[in-house]
Amino acid sequence: MDRNKISKWLKNPGKMAHKYSFHVVYFCTGCGIIEIPPSITARWDAERFGIIPVATPRQANLFLITGYVSTKTLKAIIRTYEQMPDPKYTVALGSCPINGGMYYDSYNTITSLDKYIPVDGYIAGCMPRPEAIFIGVTHLWKLIDMDKADGYKRYREDYVHYRANQEQLFGELEWPPLFIKEIVK
Amino acid sequence: MASIIHKGNSKMTDLKQMLLSGFDDININIPEDNRMVVSTKKESVLSILIYLKKFGYNHFALVSCNDWIDDNEFELIYIVSAYQKNDEQYQDIEKSSIIVKTRISREKAKFITIIDIFENAEPYEREIHEMFGINFEGHPRLTPLMLERNYKIPPFRKDFDTNKYVENTFGKIPSIKERKEGNK
Repeated sequence: MDRNKISKWLKNPGKMAHKYSFHVVYFCTGCGIIEIPPSITARWDAERFGIIPVATPRQANLFLITGYVSTKTLKAIIRTYEQMPDPKYTVALGSCPINGGMYYDSYNTITSLDKYIPVDGYIAGCMPRPEAIFIGVTHLWKLIDMDKADGYKRYREDYVHYRANQEQLFGELEWPPLFIKEIVK
Repeated sequence: MASIIHKGNSKMTDLKQMLLSGFDDININIPEDNRMVVSTKKESVLSILIYLKKFGYNHFALVSCNDWIDDNEFELIYIVSAYQKNDEQYQDIEKSSIIVKTRISREKAKFITIIDIFENAEPYEREIHEMFGINFEGHPRLTPLMLERNYKIPPFRKDFDTNKYVENTFGKIPSIKERKEGNK
């Protein structure tokens, strides 16, 4: 253990705890889910980095979106994201959530995910290998240290705008707004 | 091995002769071994399918659809084959599949359902109704299957302009930054 880091950890132990125990909920859209079983099992062993898959979004703090997002699954993604407790981080895999990727002209695939929910980081590639996922995770540690992985704060602040975008796409949403005060304001 | 293929072909040619003698206005070719393409008028599709089912082709694989926009026609494609009953006594009929094609006009995009002959055609016909807008008369529930947005033109038709659609729906949604600046 590095003794120099002890003072840093003691400064903000909660942040350290969040960093080294990512409980992940995988959203199995698209082809990226193929990369997940090797990365969480013995070959690449994600538990070295403190990453454990969990069953429900209510126990999770890292949200991996593994591939293209169709309009129908976007509803499920928003509801899953809103169920997760703070602090929560979102990472999108592959090029499709960034700008649509090869589905840029699809009738049913949204072109950029960060208009609807905040995304803390993208792992580019089609699809990224498990090594790239771990590089992304270590990069997310740095972002958490620097307080730059603030997607959940942005979602709280700009909820009016996110909700407006979601309603522009879907028409009326089936669920009530998450932060009611913000909407009234 | 060669003899088996030869036998299969003879069975196919027998069936071809029987179909040609039984139905008018049909065009049959055998592009490769154990595969037969029957293109016919839309009136005789149901009777050909019933005939093939009686003959032993009782496994209905799929319905598919093509949009030939230059001819102003849709092409419906039915694929039937026979169930594989026994690996050791692998019969000639079980290796072969038959493709029945027909064309319907694009303006009056409607056809008769074949659920009464093959029940498992139901989800395929629902999908074609959703993606191409073909109305299958007699189908019990032509409700949305996969899509949940409303499209003016069904999205698998050739005159559905995907680029324009993406521009008008997903492209017009502003990013959060733009929306914040717009509000200020």
